[in-house]
Amino acid sequence: MALKALWRRMTPLDRMLLCGLLGVALLLCVLVFRLPGGSRLVVERDGRIIYRAPLDRDRRMRLAGPLGETLAVIEHGTVRVLASPCRHKVCIGMGRISRSGEWLACVPNHLLLRIEGGRSPAEDGYDLISR
Amino acid sequence: MTSSVVDPRELARCRRQIFLSLFIALAVALNTLEFMLPSPAPWFRLGFANILTLVALYLFGGRAAWTVALARILVGALLLGRLFSPGFFLSLGGGVLATALMTGARRLAGERLGPIGASLLGAAGHATGQLLVAWLLLVRHAGLWTLYPPLLLFALGAGLLNGIAADVLIGTLRRHPAFARGATGQVGGEVSPSGK
Repeated sequence: MALKALWRRMTPLDRMLLCGLLGVALLLCVLVFRLPGGSRLVVERDGRIIYRAPLDRDRRMRLAGPLGETLAVIEHGTVRVLASPCRHKVCIGMGRISRSGEWLACVPNHLLLRIEGGRSPAEDGYDLISR
Repeated sequence: MTSSVVDPRELARCRRQIFLSLFIALAVALNTLEFMLPSPAPWFRLGFANILTLVALYLFGGRAAWTVALARILVGALLLGRLFSPGFFLSLGGGVLATALMTGARRLAGERLGPIGASLLGAAGHATGQLLVAWLLLVRHAGLWTLYPPLLLFALGAGLLNGIAADVLIGTLRRHPAFARGATGQVGGEVSPSGK
């Protein structure tokens, strides 16, 4: 079997490394997935907030940047970029975001879409200090 | 033609240079090929070029691995026209941390570390180095680290594939007379290339 052949190719240290690193990666994945969902979308352009919207209502946004308009949508509590005038379309490829602290960036068009709010303990602490 | 009268050390040095340049050329070719493949984000890359770094590490030692890795990053960036662009620094950060982990682990563990294990370490190092550079240079935002777990998982899968490829390639090359014991001209301190 292919898996057995693979196992035989590895030294005991290799096997330990494989299991250890996979374990760490999976653990981190679980931790990220358990991050609380966010409550609102904040769009920044060059560090200044240009748009805010709650996540619970679906909408389409046309966000102006130096290159032109980037089209983003909120649907079912997740945000994604539909169209962008930039060259590599990395922002479209980054997929959907919904949890607090996640972000989508279109670097050529100077836009940063990030999600705020939710029950993140770090953020609550921050609010307590700042307010 | 008259190799019998050539100093064996000189022959070994020459061979090493020729093979390292071949490895670098192949690594650059793979790097360029990979750049043309579609990718969901700039940091999700398969890192085929690392196969050649691993081969250099196992056949010629740590110094050769550094040569192949750094030359590949520089020449590859020149070829793609992105020298000193953000993508170049991401690739440099990832490459340096990956090579440091691979050569360091190889030096510490010696024969106990196979190419697959080294490749996994390199993949994890590359993912970590890239994100560190991205965090330092591009986005100073803690949210960047939510990308890390999926990136690490993806990198480990790619690293496993590259490790298997490197293992097969190293096994094949070692059977060639040019890589028989002593022929690679390794100096003291490095791990002996043939473990059997």
